[in-house]
Order: sequence, then C-alpha cells, then structure tokens
Amino acid sequence: MSVHDFWTPFSAGPFVNSLLIGLTLGAIWLLAALGLTIIYGTMGVINMAHGEFIMVGAYFTFMMQSMAGIPWLLCLPLAFIGVAILGWIVERLLIRYLYHRPLDTLLATWGVSLILVQGVRLIFGGEPQYVEVQPAALRESASIAFVHIPWLRIFILGATLALAAGTWAILYKTVYGVRVRAVMQNKEMAASFGINAQNVYGMTFAYGAGLAGVAGAMFGGLKTVFPDMGLGYIVEAFLVVVTGGGHLFGSIYSSAILGELNSVFSYFTNTTFARFVLFVLIVVFLRFFPQGLFPEAKARR
Amino acid sequence: MNRTGGNLYHNSTAQWLAYIALFGLLAIIPVVGAEPFQLRTFAGYAVFAMLAVSVSMVWGFGGILSLGQGIPYGLAAYCMGATMQMQFQTPDEPIPSFMLTNELEELPGVWKPFWHTHIGLILALGVPTLIMTVFGILMFQARLAGAFVAIMTLAMLNAFYSMAQDLQPFTAGFNGISPPNAFKAFGVEVDPYSPMMYWLALGVLAVVTFASKYMLQSKFGTIVQASRDDAERVRFLGYSVAYYQVVVFVFGGLIASLAGIVWVMIQQYVSPTALETPFSIYMVVWAAVGGRHSLFGAIVAAIVLNYLQTELADISETWQKAWLLILGGIFVAVVLLLPRGLAGAFEYLIGWIPFGGRSAKPAARPEAG
Amino acid sequence: MGIILELKDLTKAYDTYAVVDHLNLQVNEGELRCLIGPNGAGKTTTMDLITGRQKTTGGQVIFDGRNITGLKEHMIVRRGIGRKFQVPAVFKDLTVRENLEVAFNRNPDPFANMLMMFRRTDKARFDEIVDLIGLGERLGERAGYLSHGETQWLEIGMVLTQNPRLLLMDEPTAGMTEQETHKTSQIFNRLRGSHTLVVVEHDMTFVREIADVISVLHMGKLLAQGTMAEVENDPKVREVYLGAEGISDAT
Repeated sequence: MSVHDFWTPFSAGPFVNSLLIGLTLGAIWLLAALGLTIIYGTMGVINMAHGEFIMVGAYFTFMMQSMAGIPWLLCLPLAFIGVAILGWIVERLLIRYLYHRPLDTLLATWGVSLILVQGVRLIFGGEPQYVEVQPAALRESASIAFVHIPWLRIFILGATLALAAGTWAILYKTVYGVRVRAVMQNKEMAASFGINAQNVYGMTFAYGAGLAGVAGAMFGGLKTVFPDMGLGYIVEAFLVVVTGGGHLFGSIYSSAILGELNSVFSYFTNTTFARFVLFVLIVVFLRFFPQGLFPEAKARR
Repeated sequence: MNRTGGNLYHNSTAQWLAYIALFGLLAIIPVVGAEPFQLRTFAGYAVFAMLAVSVSMVWGFGGILSLGQGIPYGLAAYCMGATMQMQFQTPDEPIPSFMLTNELEELPGVWKPFWHTHIGLILALGVPTLIMTVFGILMFQARLAGAFVAIMTLAMLNAFYSMAQDLQPFTAGFNGISPPNAFKAFGVEVDPYSPMMYWLALGVLAVVTFASKYMLQSKFGTIVQASRDDAERVRFLGYSVAYYQVVVFVFGGLIASLAGIVWVMIQQYVSPTALETPFSIYMVVWAAVGGRHSLFGAIVAAIVLNYLQTELADISETWQKAWLLILGGIFVAVVLLLPRGLAGAFEYLIGWIPFGGRSAKPAARPEAG
Repeated sequence: MGIILELKDLTKAYDTYAVVDHLNLQVNEGELRCLIGPNGAGKTTTMDLITGRQKTTGGQVIFDGRNITGLKEHMIVRRGIGRKFQVPAVFKDLTVRENLEVAFNRNPDPFANMLMMFRRTDKARFDEIVDLIGLGERLGERAGYLSHGETQWLEIGMVLTQNPRLLLMDEPTAGMTEQETHKTSQIFNRLRGSHTLVVVEHDMTFVREIADVISVLHMGKLLAQGTMAEVENDPKVREVYLGAEGISDAT
C-alpha cells in the first residue's frame, strides 16, 4: 500500500460491484455467525471454539474429498453431521457443567479451541490444504456488464439464506423449536412441563456446531484450509451476533448491514482500514444501543 | 470454609511476607548465577507476570473480562520500538531503513516525536491510556458487561493487529521494528542480557504488584469488587459504576503498557505478534490458572507456565507444538474443576493448618492473596 | 410539612400498553406511605421510574421541588433517594461491616477512595444503624452467611447509611417469618418521622402495623388513597381485590 493512492474516487460500475460483493460478504459472515447465534440466543453461551468448529468442518471436507473422493456437494451435509457430533460431545463433557457460569464457558471453549487448533496442526501440519469445489462451474465468476462475482459466493449466499430459513422453520414450526424457545424463556418453567432442558441444550449446541461444519465445508472452498483459519471468521461472526442482539433475525439484518458497510469502506479505502473503521463504528453503535439492533424486552424485578 | 479468621491465607502479615519472599527469591537469581541469555528469558517472564497482574486486576477483581489487554501492551511496545529506533537514527540519517524500503522519502509526522526519548516514553504510556480511556468510557457507559465486553475488546485488538500489519511504511508490517541498539536513558545503556535489565523488569513488576495490592485494600478496591458482584446495588449506593470500571480498566491498561515498554527493552524487537489474539488470551489463561482472585497466583502461574513452555520447546519441536495442547487441557481443567485457580486450591489446603491468631482480613474474602 | 415527592402524569408504556398510566401522587416529608395493589398494578415499575432504573415515557418526578426525571440512578441516589430491592441485594463476599462501609458514601470519587483505607466512617451513625438493624453481633461475618431476614435488614441498613431523605422499600418483608416481619415493623416505626418512607407491600398485617396513608394502585393508576379504614371500605378497592372479599384476605 502506498499512502498516496489511499482514497479511491467514486465510480458507478465498480461501486455497484462492491455493493454486490458486500452482500455476499454479509452472507459469509452470517453463515459463520448462524450457529453462534443459535447457541448464544438459546443457551447464553459464547462459544469461542466456533471458529475451530468451522476449521474442523473444512478439514473434514478436505479428508472426505482427498481420501474417499466424496463430491463436494455431498460433503456439505456430512460436514454438518460430523461437526454436530463433535459439538454434542463437547457439550456433554464440558459445557453442561458450566451453565451457571456463562463467562466461564467462554474461557473453557477457548481452551477447547486451543486443543482443536493444535491437535489439527499436529496431525495435518501447518501448511495450507485445499478443498476442491464441485461442480467446476462454481469456481468461475458470473460476469454481467461491469459485475464480476464468483459463482461460489452466490452459491454461499443462497445456501446461507436456505440454512437461515431452515433454522427459522425448526425454531418456529416444529415441536423441538417450541421446546427450545420455552427453555430460552424460562428454564425452570419449561422443566416443570416435562421438557428436558439438558437435552434441548445438547441438541442445540450440536445443531449450532453442525452449522459451523457446513460453513467450514464452504469456506474451505472459498479460501485455503489451515489450522488457524477459524480466527479469520470468528471476530466478524461475534460482531454480527452482538450488533444483532443475539437472535436469528437480528443476525440476518446485522450481517447484511455490516457486510455492505465493510465493502463500501473497502471500496473507498482498503480492507484493513475498512475493518478498523467498522469495528470502531460498532463500538460507538453499542454505546447507544447496547442491546443491539433488536433488543428483546426483559422482565426483571 | 472457616467462618472468622482461622485461615493463614487471609492473614495480612502472612500475605505481605509471601510477596516479599517471592520477590526476594526472584531478585537473587542473578547473584546465584545465571547465564546472560537465561537472565534475558527470566526478565521476559517478569513481563508476562505484569500482564497476568493486569488481567487479574481488570478481570479477577473488576469483573471485566478483557480479551484485549494486548491493545495497551502492543501500542506501548510500538511506541517504545519507535523511541529506540530513533535513538539509533542521526540527523544525517533520519529515516529508519525499513521506511526506505517502503519508499518513504522523509520521516512521517507521527514518528517525529520519538526523536526525543522522554517524549517517546510519555507517548508509550499516554497513547494506550488515552485509547483505553475512550474505549472504556464507550463500553462502560453503555453498561456493556460479560461476554459483550470480551467480544468488543477482542474485536478492537483484532482491528489494531491488522492495522499494525497493514501500515507497512510506519510499522514495518509483518517484519516488525528491530532497533539495533539497546535502550539508553540518562547516559546509561540497558543491556538486555545484564542483571540490570533483569532487576529493572523485576522492579517494575514489584511496583505494579504492590500498587495493585494497595488499591485492592483501599475503599476503591472494595467498591470495584462490589461492582463485580452486583453492579446495580453499587449504583444504588450512589457510585458511578461506569466511572469505577473505566478507572480499573485504564489502570490495568497502564500495567500492560509498562509491560510492553519493558518487553521491547528486553527483546529490542516489536512486531504485530504483540497484538495477536491468542497472546491476549494467554494472559487470561495465566491469571485463571494462578487464580483469578489472586495477584500472587497470577504472577506465579505466568512465570511457571512460561518456564515450562520454554523448557519443553528446548526438548524438541514436537514438544513445542504439544505444549499448546497441554496448555489448552490445563486451562479447560482449571476452568471446570478449579474456578479459583491454584490460589483457590492453596487457600483450601492451607485452611486445614490450624492458625490461632485472628486474621486481619475477614475469612474467604476474595481479594485476599 | 412540605411535599417531598411528587409524581406528575408519570407514564411508562411499552408499545401501546401502559404499565404506569398518568400516575399522580404526592408524598409529604416525614410520612410513611404504603403502596399496595394487585400484581401488575405498576408498583415496582413506579419505583423504577422514580429511581431512574427505567426510563419514563411521559410525566415528571419532582423530588424536593426539583425535577429529577431522566437523571442517572447514582445521581438520583446522591440527591437523597435510597432504595431497597425486592430481592435482597447485598455483597455476599464482603462482611456485614464492609457492606455497611461500602454503603457509607461520603465521597463517590474513585481516586479519593483509593486513598481511603476504611478508617473514616461516621462512628456515631454507624453504631446507630447497627443497633437499629440488630446485627451488632455479626459484623465480622460474611454477608453470604446471613439468614434471609438478616439479609433484608442489612440491605435496609445499607440504604440508611446513605442517610437518604426518601426511602423506597420494595416488599421488605417478602419471605420473612412472622417474628422477622414484626421486627421489621419495629424498625420502620423507629424510622418514622426522621425519614420519609414509601413501602410497597403485600402483607396487609404489616401494612396495618406501620402505615399512615395507603395509596392503592391499579392498572398503573391511583385507585384510592387514605387511611387503612378508608381504603378498606372503598368499593372500588373491594372490587379490584377479588370481588367483595376485601383487601385483608388478599396477598
């Protein structure tokens, strides 16, 4: 970077392109944040290992492809299942004992993330691996007039919306969803109606982890796969959750807004500076709306 | 546990004696005999201990889980790096070589104050303090707490990290700044391998520890801890909780800044690694393993854990890699089984020793130690 | 005796539903006022609005002739309004003495308090309060070890340490045994005259023991006001409290 060409002047074509890129960026952040949102919204747990669940999903996909030759599209649901099982185990062995200490779950899950990163590094080494996206058409870019967007990003946008819609349907249209929401609102009362909060939590954590697994399968195709890759997504994902207020719709809106803002700032300046400005803006935003875009009404005595 | 007095752990005199013994023991290391390179490593441990004290103050006692203690640490380190770099430059050659490679033709304005060592030092403490103050005011006036504070501090740390990497002409990017000469002040050159450097680092650690200990025993400390336990009640006693939080947050930042300054004196090097996310979380790990409510525990854990890490890294590369796995395991186990860390376990054990005298501190008070 | 607290058209509404609805209320200096009403009448919300814990949607809170609407909680406390919460809030890790010392807020500035090593407490006032709440024997004890009733008294003591001109008490006898309730009413009777108290209570026996004037809230509005006898015979009040059974049987 040179200091002199820091500011890019406005020009319509590339600007529109960056708006579209912003939308796909928002989708990537939402995809990374989806599982986090469900877990935080339901259980109040900040899962610091979420980025590493994404990473494990990516490595899992890499293994399925390179060892068993499973097509990429089929890897997506398999990555969901694989990481969901991992999430379920983590919940069983660890999170379960820490529900009364929410901040400690943050610390403990960070310990888990350290173990996962280092474990993967010991097994696979630190060098980057590649996930091959299939069909090959997804590796090309859609070019219409001045718009150039990789098909994979469009695919991710679509897949993210589908996953968000699916999650919504599960939460609001199924018996399981009713249970989850009952536990969210009042754990004790839900328990008195015979809902096993422990099971609901276990399943929810597994589901959120599974979403991270799918995300990893896609991100692996988008960029390279390496042990520290989770860090590259986790911060933005957290910010999506925080600015959205910790529930599904909030996260959808906030990811779209943050993705667009980041893309527009990046257009005028550069990616790093855009990130910096965006983060500072979020801090200022939270000063005035500490509960995010869509605060939930709380009853307290 | 015990009701009144009884536990030696809470005896004020015993506590001060323990601190004096610890620092005395650490102080005689150069006298007993240690290789220069070992001394330099040990001086580094003192820096890590300062960082653990900083986290302990902010998180353990203030209840503010900051994952961004690297911000003041890193910013101070960069200011110190710039100061030491400019001590090397001369009016004939005013531009550091990494700037020349980045095609800068004159010294950037932000670098000019570092011509003067004293201004450089003031900036190394002032810049982080200012940033932490503004950041703290924004967060705590909005009554952000718990996980939200953790996330925001993490995000800001990340933002600073990428800036340090990206602003190559000013920070030398990924490579970092490595001032060629040791730090000079008042006509004295502080050789990083000398006992003087080691004692200086230890001295700073002692000062921040005793300052923290003093603060915790003042009414300020009690109010801070009360805010941690029930912020609303404190507010309804007429205190501005946000104000207290900002002060303790900035105080912790100041300790981290001092750590950053000393670190660069020891290493003659600063790079974006100072602002890396995992490093800031390691600081929390040290404090948590030692015992979040114990400065003493934080110091000991920071030293012991880093000593183990260095020793294992010396054995082989595999052990070096395995160390993080072990650390992750230790951390999970401590959070799960020993939430009050080693100090908490020690407190429990020492409680079994009969101790007659009435303790100066009340039983089971968390700030003890 | 002048008016110390005045609520003018005080309103708190969520969307279209008003929890407190244009409430007008006056409290005289030195009075002991009881605030009663069925669940959801807006009693706790009213206290929240007075103390700044919740933001008002309309109307004013006038304290000692000055408008305090919209001030931050700690600023309102410094004006002289103390509050005891419904769920007792004390610092469990601190001793009883330390709890009271934290509450002794002569100078709220953090830097001033860094220099304070807890020696400067108003001894006479401290002893007076300890005597009033009857915890003299337990000063060295961790507050976490206190019984429920003792915890309530400690919190009352902490609020009193502030020497507030107006004390708001939210269900001070909730969960207390009969003896404990009786002791609490003795405490309140000793405070009468020297302090202005507004007490939210469900326990009618307790209200009968202490109240000068009773204000009945219903649906966020003032339904009736007067002495125990007046309120009891008010047909509107009877209607609100489970038909014609009267308030004495309601809890």
